[in-house]
Amino acid sequence: MKNLTGLLVVAMLVAACTKKDAGQTADVQAQGGAKLTNNELKIGISQEFENFNPLISSMLATTYMQRMVNRTLVTIDADGKWVPQLAKAIPSIEAGTAKVIKVGGKEKIQATWELLDNAVWGDGTPITCDDFSLAVKIASSPNVGVGEKEVYTQVEKIELVDKNPKKCLFTYEKAKWDFYMLGTFYPVPKQLEEAVFKKYGSQKEGYEKNSIYSKEPTNVGLFNGPYVISELQLGDHVTFVPNPKFYGTQPHIKKIIVKLIPNTGTLEANLRSGTIDLISTLGLALDQALAFEKKIKSENLGYQVLFQPSTVYEHIDLNLDNPFLKDVRVRKALNFAINKEDLVNALFEGKQQPAIHSVTPRDPWFTADPAKVTVYKYNKREAERLLDEAGWKPGADGIRVKDGKRLSFTVMTTAGNKTRELVQVYLQNQWKQVGIEVNAKNEPARVFFGETTKKRAFDSMALFAWVSSPENTPKSTFSSKNIPTAKNGWSGQNYMGWSNAAVDKTLDALDTEMKHEKRIEMVHEVLKAYTDEVPVLPLYYRSDVAVIPTQLKGYRLTGHQFPETNVVENWNLE
Amino acid sequence: MSQAETLTTTPQATADLKSIETSQTFFQIVYSQFKEHKAAVVGAYLILFFVLVAVFAPAIEWATGTDSDSQNVFNRYKPPFSKIVASQDVRENQIQTFIQANPTDAAAIQQQLLEKNLVQPIRPEDALYDWVNLEKSKAISVIQSLDTSKKDQLVKMVNNFQSFHLFGTDELGRDVLMRLVYGTRVSIGVGILVALASAVIGLIIGSLAGYYGGVIDTILMRLTDSLLSLPTLPVLVVIAAIDLKKVLGGLVEFANSWFGATAGNFTQEIVNSIFSGGKESIYKLVFILCLFSWMTVARLIRGAILSLREREFILASKTLGATDFTIIVRHMFPNVIAPLLVSVTLGVGDSILFEAALSYLGLGIQPPMPSWGNMLFNAQELIYQAPFLAILPGVLIFLVVVSFNFLGDGLQDAIDPKTVRR
Amino acid sequence: MTTYILRRLVQTLMVIVILSYVCFSLMTLMPGDPVELMISANPKITQEDVVRLRAFYGLDQPTYVRYFNWVGEIAKGDLGYSRTYRIPVTEMMGPSLKATFVLSMGSLIFSILIGVPLGIYCALKPNSKMDYVVNMFNFGGISLPSFFLGIVLIIIFSVGLGWLPAGGYQTTGMHYDSWFAEMLDKAKYLILPILSLSVQSIGRFSRFARSAMVEAMRNDFIRTARAKGMSEKVVIWKHGFRNALIPLITIVAISFSSVFSGALITESLFAYPGVGRLIYTSIIGNDFNVAMISFIISIAMVLVMNLVADLLYGAADPRISYK
Repeated sequence: MKNLTGLLVVAMLVAACTKKDAGQTADVQAQGGAKLTNNELKIGISQEFENFNPLISSMLATTYMQRMVNRTLVTIDADGKWVPQLAKAIPSIEAGTAKVIKVGGKEKIQATWELLDNAVWGDGTPITCDDFSLAVKIASSPNVGVGEKEVYTQVEKIELVDKNPKKCLFTYEKAKWDFYMLGTFYPVPKQLEEAVFKKYGSQKEGYEKNSIYSKEPTNVGLFNGPYVISELQLGDHVTFVPNPKFYGTQPHIKKIIVKLIPNTGTLEANLRSGTIDLISTLGLALDQALAFEKKIKSENLGYQVLFQPSTVYEHIDLNLDNPFLKDVRVRKALNFAINKEDLVNALFEGKQQPAIHSVTPRDPWFTADPAKVTVYKYNKREAERLLDEAGWKPGADGIRVKDGKRLSFTVMTTAGNKTRELVQVYLQNQWKQVGIEVNAKNEPARVFFGETTKKRAFDSMALFAWVSSPENTPKSTFSSKNIPTAKNGWSGQNYMGWSNAAVDKTLDALDTEMKHEKRIEMVHEVLKAYTDEVPVLPLYYRSDVAVIPTQLKGYRLTGHQFPETNVVENWNLE
Repeated sequence: MSQAETLTTTPQATADLKSIETSQTFFQIVYSQFKEHKAAVVGAYLILFFVLVAVFAPAIEWATGTDSDSQNVFNRYKPPFSKIVASQDVRENQIQTFIQANPTDAAAIQQQLLEKNLVQPIRPEDALYDWVNLEKSKAISVIQSLDTSKKDQLVKMVNNFQSFHLFGTDELGRDVLMRLVYGTRVSIGVGILVALASAVIGLIIGSLAGYYGGVIDTILMRLTDSLLSLPTLPVLVVIAAIDLKKVLGGLVEFANSWFGATAGNFTQEIVNSIFSGGKESIYKLVFILCLFSWMTVARLIRGAILSLREREFILASKTLGATDFTIIVRHMFPNVIAPLLVSVTLGVGDSILFEAALSYLGLGIQPPMPSWGNMLFNAQELIYQAPFLAILPGVLIFLVVVSFNFLGDGLQDAIDPKTVRR
Repeated sequence: MTTYILRRLVQTLMVIVILSYVCFSLMTLMPGDPVELMISANPKITQEDVVRLRAFYGLDQPTYVRYFNWVGEIAKGDLGYSRTYRIPVTEMMGPSLKATFVLSMGSLIFSILIGVPLGIYCALKPNSKMDYVVNMFNFGGISLPSFFLGIVLIIIFSVGLGWLPAGGYQTTGMHYDSWFAEMLDKAKYLILPILSLSVQSIGRFSRFARSAMVEAMRNDFIRTARAKGMSEKVVIWKHGFRNALIPLITIVAISFSSVFSGALITESLFAYPGVGRLIYTSIIGNDFNVAMISFIISIAMVLVMNLVADLLYGAADPRISYK
C-alpha cells in the first residue's frame, strides 16, 4: 500500500509539473520557432461532417466547410445584412427587379436574378440559370432526401430573361416579402450532375448514392467558391486548396485543413501541441473558452479568444397542457424567480446576454422597450406573491402544495451538454428558493429532439435553443397551426402547445407584408403576447466562440448561420 | 474423537489432540489467511472508511455546516483551502429568519434604511434583503449608522457570511468536499447494489444451467453468450429512450388487475417513491449495469456447480431422496459462496468504473446528483484550469476500485486452499 | 468431438442470427426513421406524402419483414449504403476497420509482450519485491478510468513535453516519400492510444499469466521432473510454461474478439478514426446500415472467438471432454 500512495503522489506531482511545463512550451511556440505562414492553416472542429452535396447535407460542420467551396445567390455578412454573392444585386420591388403578379387568383412574386458574369465552376464551366433549375428539379424529386426542401421548392420555375443564361427570372410560389432570402439555395453543376440525375433519379436514393459529390468528392467541377476540396477523409479531415478558377479575390492561405477532434476536452491540448492552429466556432464550450482566455492572458500565449453574440436563443419551452402550467401566474412566477443577470454574469462572465424573448439583439426586429414587450426582472418575492395568489402554499419541506399536490416539474434537456446542464442545476436551485421543485431528466440529443420535443412528450419543461437568422418569422414556433400532433404527422415546432388566435392572424399577415416598418410593428405585437402569456421562459442569447492565432487577420465571427468561412478569402496569416 | 480420548495418553498425542480441539473453523482459517495479504487488509479498511462516509454523509454535512447543494455562482472554481463569501441565497435566508424572529425591530430598521435612502429596493419590503446583499464593509457601516438594539446581532451575521472550502468549489460554486461525500454514496451504493443484484441473477442462472445441464444449460449459456457479445453502447442509447415511468405504469395496472386494488396502490406508492427527488437515473443505471454484468457470475457458478454435481456427497443426498431445490440450495450454494464472494467484490470495482464511463457518454447519473463518475466527467474539459476538480474524483475512483480489487484478491487467496501466496 | 464442434457452430450461427434480429428491432425502436427526418425538414409534407414515403422505404412493413428484406440484401452481397455519408458501407467501414485493427492489435501484442513475461517472472519468484510491485501496478492499471488516463497522457506527453501528437492517426496533408516514412509517422500517432489501452490489459494479462504459471508449477509432474534432475530451465519452459500456455491461449483468443469492435472512449479522446466512434456516430445519426454491420461484426467476433477458446481449451487439456 505504501508503494501505491507513493505512486499517487508521483502522479500528482507530474500533473502539477506538467501544468507549469505546458505554459513554457506554449510560450516558446508563441514567441518564436514554428510561426504560422500562409502555407497552411489547420482548423479544429468537434462535430461530425458528412457528404458535401449541398442539397442533402444538413450537419453544421458540413455547412461550415461548404461555405469555403460553394456560394449562393445571397448571403448575410458579418454585420447581419443581406448581400448578393453569386448575384449582381438583390432584386427588389422598389428597384423594379421584382413584382407581385396574380396567377389564377393567387398572388406570386417574380424576381430577376442576374448572375455575376465571370462566375464559373472549378472546371471553368460558367454558372448559369440552368444550374439553379437543376437544383430545384432534383430537390423536388420524391426520391431524394433533401434537407431543407422548402428553400428549393418555394421557387416554382426559373426562366431565362432575354435568352441570357446569366439572367434568371424566378417565380415564387407565394407573395412573401422574404422571397430573396435564398441563402441556402445552392446551384448544382449541370455539366456533372444532370446526367446522374437522369440515370438514377427514378430510383429511391439513387441520385444521392451516385452523385459525383459521393462518387468523386474532389472533382473541382463541383465547386464554385474560393477553395476546392483536394482530400476528403470522412470522420477525420478535409483538405482545401485555392480554386484557380475562382472569380473573386484569390485567397491568401495556400492550404486549409479542417480536422475533426470529437472530444472537446482535448481541443485545447490539440491546439497547444500544434495538431491544430485554430478552434472553430464548432468547438469549445463557453466555460472552456472563458478559462482559456484567462490562461492566454496570464501566460501570454499567442492566441486570441473571440466572442460574438449570435442569433441562438436558449430557452425553456413550457408544456401548456401541464395542469399546473395552465395557470399563467405560475408561468410568470417561474420567470420572475430566475435571476438571469446573475446567470450570465456569473456563469458566462457577461459574454452572453440575458434573453427577453425569442428575437435576438442581432435582429433588426429586436426590442427591449418595456412599452412594447413585457420585461421580467428578477424578483423573488414577486414570484412568491404570484404563487401565493395562485393558491400554492409552502409545505412542510419548503415545496409549495395545493390540494395535496406538490408544485413539482421536470426540466429536460440534452444529456452531455455541459453548459445546459449547468444552467439547469442553477435554475433548479433558484426555483427551490421560491418553493418550486424541479427535477432534471436528460436524454441523448437524438432522443430528446427526435422524440421528446417533437412529439411533445416532455411533462413540463424542455430546455434547448432555437437557431434563427435575422428577420426570420416565428410562425413555425408560435402559430397554433404548428402544434405537433399525431394528426399532422408531428410537424411544426410549437412544442408548447401555445394557441393565440390574434398571434396566428398577425403571423399570417406578416408573411405578405412588404413594408419593413409595418413588419416590425407586427412582430412587436406578437412578442408582446409572447412575453405576456409566457409560454416560454427565455434564458439567454448565446455567443459564438472561436480561438485564433493572434497573427490571423481578416477573420471575423458572424454569429448567424452563415459562418466566418463565408469570407475565407480574406484570411491572412502574414 | 471420543475413541481417541480414551485410547491415547502420550504427550505427543495430547498435543495433537489439543490442536485438533482448537482447530479453526473455515472462516477463522480464511480470516487468518486474509490477514496475511497486507494490501487486501488496507483495502478493506479503506472500503470500510468510504462506506462509513457514505452512510454518514448527512451527519458530515451537518457537522461541517456546509450544504452540499448550496450554490455560490460568483465563486466558481476556487482552489482548495479557499475562504469565500456566502452566496445571496444564504444571506437572504438568514435575514428572513431574522425578520420572522424580530418583526418589530426589522420594521424599524427597514424604515430607517428607507428614510436615510441607504438602499434603493424595488419594493419597500425588500429593504433589509437589499442591505444584506451589500458588500461586507459597507453593510456594516450602514448598520452602525442606524439606531437599533439588534446592531450587534446583525454585524455578527454579516461577519459570518463566509465559508471555508477544504477542496475548493466546483463549476457552480458548490463545496467539492461535500459533493465528493455525497458522490461516495451514489458511486459505492450503485457499485454494491449492482454487484449484489448481478450475483443473485448469476447465481440463479448459473446453478440452473449447471445442475440441470442439457437443453436448459444450452439455452441459458447461449443467452449468457449473447448478452456478453451484445454491443453495450447501442443498447444503452435505446434504453435511454425508454420512459421508465411508462413501463412502471404498466406494472401498476398489472398489479391492480391481478392482485386487487391494495396491491395496485402499493405498487403505485413504490413507483412514486422511485420518482421522487429525481432518483430515476439511479434506478435506470442500476438496471443497465445489472443487465450487462451478471454473465460472468453465471459462468463462474455454472462451472462450480458442474464439478460439484459429480461429487459423492451430492450423489449421496440424491440417493437419500433430497429434492433438487434442497440439493442446490442446501448442498451446493455453501460450496459456491467463496468464488461468488470474490466475484462480487471484483464486480463492485467494475461497476464503479462502468458508471464513470457512462457519465462520459452523458448516460450516467443525472445532475444535480453528484457521483464520482459525473464529477470526473464534468471536470475533464477544464483539466488545465481546475485540475483538482478532476484529480479528486479520479483518485477516489482509483482508490476504491483498487481497494475492492485487492479485497477480492485477498479473499480469493484466503479461500482457495491451493494458493500459497504471501 | 467433431459433432460437438458442429453442434456448437450451428448454435453460434443461430445466436448470431437471433442477435442480429434483436439489434435490428432495437434500431427500429429508436426514435427518428428516414421519413421522420424528411418530415422535420419539410413542413409542407402532407399526410399522403408520408404514407407514400413510408411505403417507398418499406417502413410501413412490420419489423420482421424488413429484417428479412435486409438479410436478403446482405445475402446478395449488398451491404447497403451509409445514409449519412452516401457511400457504400464497405467503402465507409474499410478504413475504420483497418484503423481499429491496427490500434487494437498493437495494444494486444504490446500487452502480451509486456504482461505475460511479467506475470511469469512473478510466478517464478512469488512474494519477491518485484512480484509485489508488479501486482500493485496491475491492480492500478485495471482500476484507472480509461478517459482519465487518456487525458493525463495527453497533458504529459503532448502538451507538456511536446513529444507526441495529441490526436489523429497521421500528419494531415503529409505526402510520404516512402512507406517507411509513412509507417514512422503513423506509429507516432499510435503510441499514446496504445499506451492508454494497454495499461489496463497489461494488468489483466500479467495477472492471468501469473496465476496460470503458478498453477502449472504446482503440478506433480513438475516435482517429478525436478526429481529426475532436469535443469530448472527445462522444467520451467518445457513443463511449466507449456502447461500454462493453455489457459493463456484461451484468454488471448477471447481478447482477440474485440480487435474489430473498437474502443469508443479511447478513439474519441485521441481523435482516432476507428470503428468504435463510427458505430457511435452511426447510431446517433441513424445510419442504419453502418450500425447493423458493425453490430454483426462485433457480435460474430465475440461468439466465434469464444467458441475457438472453448475448443482450444478442450484440445489442449485431455481432462476436459466434450459430450
